[in-house]
Amino acid sequence: MLRSLRATLLIWYTFVLVILIVVFASTVTYQYWQSLIQQVDADLVDATSVLVSGLTPDIDGTFDLNVPDSFRRSVPDSGDETYYAVWNPRGELVDQSEPLATPRSMPAPGVATRLGRREVVVDVAGRARILAGRQLDSTYAAVRTLGLGLASSGALVLALALIGGFFLAGRALAPVARISRTAGAMIGGDLDARIPVKGTASELEQVARALNEAFDRLSVAVDRQRQFTADASHELRTPLATLRAEFEWALTRPRSADEYKASIEKGQRAVERMSELADRLLTLVSPGGRPDMGRSALNLATVVSASVDLLRPLAVSHSVTLEATYADAPISGVRNLLADAISNLLKNAIEYNRPGGTVSIAMANEPGWVVTTIRDTGIGISAEDLSRIFERFYRVDRSRTRGGAGLGLAIVKSVIEDHGGSVTCSSTPDVGTEFQVRLPRVAG
Amino acid sequence: MRVLVVEDEKDLADTLVRALTEEGFAIDLATDGDEGLFKIADVAYDAAVLDVMLPVMDGWTLLENARARGIRTPVLMLTARDTVEDRVRGLNLGADDYLVKPFALRELVARLHALVRRAYGSPVPRIAVGDLVIDTGARRVQRNGVTIELTAREYAVLELLARSRGRLVTRTRLCQSLYNEDIDITSNVVDVHIAALRKKIGADVIRTRRGEGYIIEE
Repeated sequence: MLRSLRATLLIWYTFVLVILIVVFASTVTYQYWQSLIQQVDADLVDATSVLVSGLTPDIDGTFDLNVPDSFRRSVPDSGDETYYAVWNPRGELVDQSEPLATPRSMPAPGVATRLGRREVVVDVAGRARILAGRQLDSTYAAVRTLGLGLASSGALVLALALIGGFFLAGRALAPVARISRTAGAMIGGDLDARIPVKGTASELEQVARALNEAFDRLSVAVDRQRQFTADASHELRTPLATLRAEFEWALTRPRSADEYKASIEKGQRAVERMSELADRLLTLVSPGGRPDMGRSALNLATVVSASVDLLRPLAVSHSVTLEATYADAPISGVRNLLADAISNLLKNAIEYNRPGGTVSIAMANEPGWVVTTIRDTGIGISAEDLSRIFERFYRVDRSRTRGGAGLGLAIVKSVIEDHGGSVTCSSTPDVGTEFQVRLPRVAG
Repeated sequence: MRVLVVEDEKDLADTLVRALTEEGFAIDLATDGDEGLFKIADVAYDAAVLDVMLPVMDGWTLLENARARGIRTPVLMLTARDTVEDRVRGLNLGADDYLVKPFALRELVARLHALVRRAYGSPVPRIAVGDLVIDTGARRVQRNGVTIELTAREYAVLELLARSRGRLVTRTRLCQSLYNEDIDITSNVVDVHIAALRKKIGADVIRTRRGEGYIIEE
């Protein structure tokens, strides 16, 4: 592709250059020819007037011709001698200097080129017709010499221009080579490959920069995907390890019925944990904005109050007070998903609270929006963690002080956004955290 | 052999303790990184099994701290991630081995035995004492090709003494190696095991250093 682009450029370049050289050379040659022929014509006109001065009229209407000396002297440098011929009014040849060059019949007055000769024919006051002519050999030779010179220098210029053009095209297309090399490396799996970019603003550098940007995004996306897969498999490995070790233990030798029962129960717990994880992963990866998901008109207040009731026992066990104010909030959504999301936020607010703390839930209607605020008086989230808490598998405590796969908030975010809403979080460490869920309000 | 298991996942920890105890190890369990570090510094374990993801202090930090304090206990890391970076990181921090979850129990046991063998300075799984052959891989003792039946504790006493051949093993050391922290015993329990062992393998193999401990002479 690269080679052909270079070749194409060169072909067009050559084509244009050849046309330029040909046009230039022919114009110059033609002009030169014109100037030479004008000189010849002027000489010949001079010659006829010299001849006219040598004519002496006779009584019978004829005339005598004495060729003046000046005619003989007017031999040009080129060596092509001027010849002449004179006819009387009856059309009879009266005199001629070179019989071989004289036309057989009397020519019409005017200027003409005939058989490599230039001839000027004039009438003298109706008495005689005079022809002055000259071989054009030297003129042709001069023009030919010029033409050859122009052709050879044109060829030289063309050759030089082609060599230069070849290198220039190569240089201009060098970024294309870099781009295609890098793209090749990317295809080969090296996602860190980037096109070397110089500081210039050339079109190809712009292309390179644009491609680099695309590569950056691509590799970030691939990294995320890889991270997600790694995290997901990581989360599955611990219950799998339990399952495998427990069952291996149970099978190494005969066990009592109680031991088998305990083993199977443990296996069941591990399987439940994995199923739950699989469900949550599916919630995350399947786009939830599908219209066919079974959305219905519902009042968000009923969803929130149901979640609050559900989590009251947890709040009691953590010595946390739940305070809630509800407001009618007609929205369109999937009840189960929204209930999951709200419960998740409430659960976090309770679990990350301090004993004796409070979780307050407030709903408010804004034009077009339903805003649900969940505020706790807990340990808070540091600014560093705050920007990442909605990421999948992100745990504020990397070493997992509390259970969970770190998927909860990611799911909340994805559910709320799928409903056309948004969820934001603000927090002050040691004071508390506030989550705000905004969902589009349905008119009526 | 006394082994520390640091694992926060309750079900998995429970399985590990039960299975390893059955294999003749005396197991202590720690359920977070802090507790793990405290215990590994407190007791001269023959080996430690360390999960990477732990509450309070992760396994890597625990290991780094332990090695910084000069604790030489052989450590096997349990990682849920099997990327090369994760494995290399553990090894570079001073781990002796690693296993990726989910793992086979048999492999964990075999690797622990191998770790302990190397820690005692010999990679050979068979130890010969006179006409006794102790196969530490199969945990079996034979005399002239005839297997001698030993209880798990008797075997553990014999293996520790055989590994420490030519060196005195104190009653306390034997006690630490046989029982985990949950059992409060007096050191004359060791004497009971020694007496039982002598009946089975002959009285001349294990010598008593009165008031100090026991030794199998070279």
